[in-house]
Amino acid sequence: MKIRSKILGILAAGYVMGIALPPRAAAEVSDEDFNALKEAVRQLSEKVQKLEQTHEEDQKLHDQDQQKIQQLQQQVGETQKSATEAQQNAETASQMKLKLGQLEEQVEAQKTATEAQGKAVAAAQVQPVAPVPSGPLATHNFTLAGDAEIQFGKTTGQHSAFTLADFAPVFLYRAGDNVLFEAGFDIRLQNGAVTLASGQTGNSGTTTTIDLSFATLDYLLNDYVTVVAGDMILPLGTYAERSAGWLNKIPDDPLPRAVLPGTGIGVQLRGSIPVGQSGQQITYSAYAANGPGSVDGSGRATFVDSSGNVLPNLDFGNVGIQSNGNTANEHSAVSGGGRLGWFFPLKPSYDLELGFSGQTGPWNNSGGQNWSALVADAALHISPYFELRGEYINTWWQTTDMGTLAPRGWWVQGAYKLAGLNQNLNVPLVNNLELVSRLDWVDDGLGTRTQRETVGYVYYLTNTLLLEGDYEWLHTRGPNAGSSNKWVFQLSYGF
Amino acid sequence: MNDLTPLRPRLLAGIGLTVIAAAIYTGSIPIVNAGPQAAPAAPEKPAESNALSGATLYAINCSRCHQERFATEFTPGQWKTIMIHMRVRANLPAAQAREILKYLQEDAGN
Repeated sequence: MKIRSKILGILAAGYVMGIALPPRAAAEVSDEDFNALKEAVRQLSEKVQKLEQTHEEDQKLHDQDQQKIQQLQQQVGETQKSATEAQQNAETASQMKLKLGQLEEQVEAQKTATEAQGKAVAAAQVQPVAPVPSGPLATHNFTLAGDAEIQFGKTTGQHSAFTLADFAPVFLYRAGDNVLFEAGFDIRLQNGAVTLASGQTGNSGTTTTIDLSFATLDYLLNDYVTVVAGDMILPLGTYAERSAGWLNKIPDDPLPRAVLPGTGIGVQLRGSIPVGQSGQQITYSAYAANGPGSVDGSGRATFVDSSGNVLPNLDFGNVGIQSNGNTANEHSAVSGGGRLGWFFPLKPSYDLELGFSGQTGPWNNSGGQNWSALVADAALHISPYFELRGEYINTWWQTTDMGTLAPRGWWVQGAYKLAGLNQNLNVPLVNNLELVSRLDWVDDGLGTRTQRETVGYVYYLTNTLLLEGDYEWLHTRGPNAGSSNKWVFQLSYGF
Repeated sequence: MNDLTPLRPRLLAGIGLTVIAAAIYTGSIPIVNAGPQAAPAAPEKPAESNALSGATLYAINCSRCHQERFATEFTPGQWKTIMIHMRVRANLPAAQAREILKYLQEDAGN
């Protein structure tokens, strides 16, 4: 632009000079002036040519610059494109690397699974067993239940005393949804017994006894069958299964329960089948257990101990093995038994339950003599306040020396919560009081019969803390008679 | 050695049974105030179908053997364990045991 301006400026100056010179003066121009002017024009022409040449060179340089600029712009564009492509490539490479890693993991897992499968196949070929599915995980639970009691009592002709301190925990361990281990213990404090020179027994110090009341594995096979194995509470009647200290309304057990075993080691199937939609149900239990044994192995009814006492030869504590490792009471077969029950609820707190149960099996070592039992049980609830329940028990004990003996008995117990009277009697604390009465009778099969009448009460300090008290009249006759009247107080706690 | 049929014990036992007979009579009277110990758990809500609710099944099955155990006394996990124990011990139908468990776990303790 500058060069063009200079050229135009020179031309404009010439044009101005042409106009400015008067025509008359041309006529008067000398050769010298003309030559000078000519020289000036020539010089101007040279300058113009130089300027044009310079302009062309500048134009050429400008074109070259433009070309370079375009080349540079092209290079910048290509560089940017390369950078973008490089970024895209980097991302793609990252994704590929990730996919590659995943593929490698899959390949590794597949490889491991293939190896495990190969090992399983190899193991199955070595030991052909069906694969056992694993149980549900992280569903274990440990819970402690049970009860504790302390008794204070007085027997006619004896001094009153605290007669019992019993702690009876029940350990419940749930291993999954269908498996439960349960074990109940009775831990009691007693006076140590000492045999005096006179042959009588005296007390010295205290001893703690720990008895395993029951210990079973319960497996819920399905909705209708449960498998129970171990040291089972036998379903002969319902008392044994529902007689925890804080459930029993009278501290002492019914007398005829003494002619039945409380527990037995074996296997049991049990369950319940609901009937209709009213809560009605049919219950069943079927079991095989060791059954009673013989103390001396014979089939005789009695044996004589080292002190000369004549005692029943029947042993309900037959667990199948002795402490010296010998198999105990080697009778020929285990005993079988069961219970069939019917529970009919009319509505809550109005119901009736009936059941029949029994057991039979050999009891002496030769297996030639059987011990059998039949129990009928019933329970009735009329209103939340009144309960009546009882059992009739008959056993048949075959002996080699006394024929078939028949230890038997019955008991009936009624209870009434005075809260049912509170609509008429506005007496403080009466709501928590329950009156209880029981009649029971037993024949031990060896000639001794005992009858007992009991009246008592239960005061509910809380729903699980009970203060019980009763008075018992006992009447016995026969070779083993010796019971006396007594009264008993018991504090029971269920947890 | 005592006689099997003495007069005084029979009289006292008779009194006891008379009280129980009175109880039977009283039990037939409509309940006004059951008291905290006597009343079993009442249904909290009516069952949607003919099936009994967990609360009703609890009152039917559990209260016939022992005092009411409150839901807050055990955690949900402990209730599950205890219900398996009671299902086996009391021979409860499985479906009823599940409904009772659901009822107890709703308000279980922590």
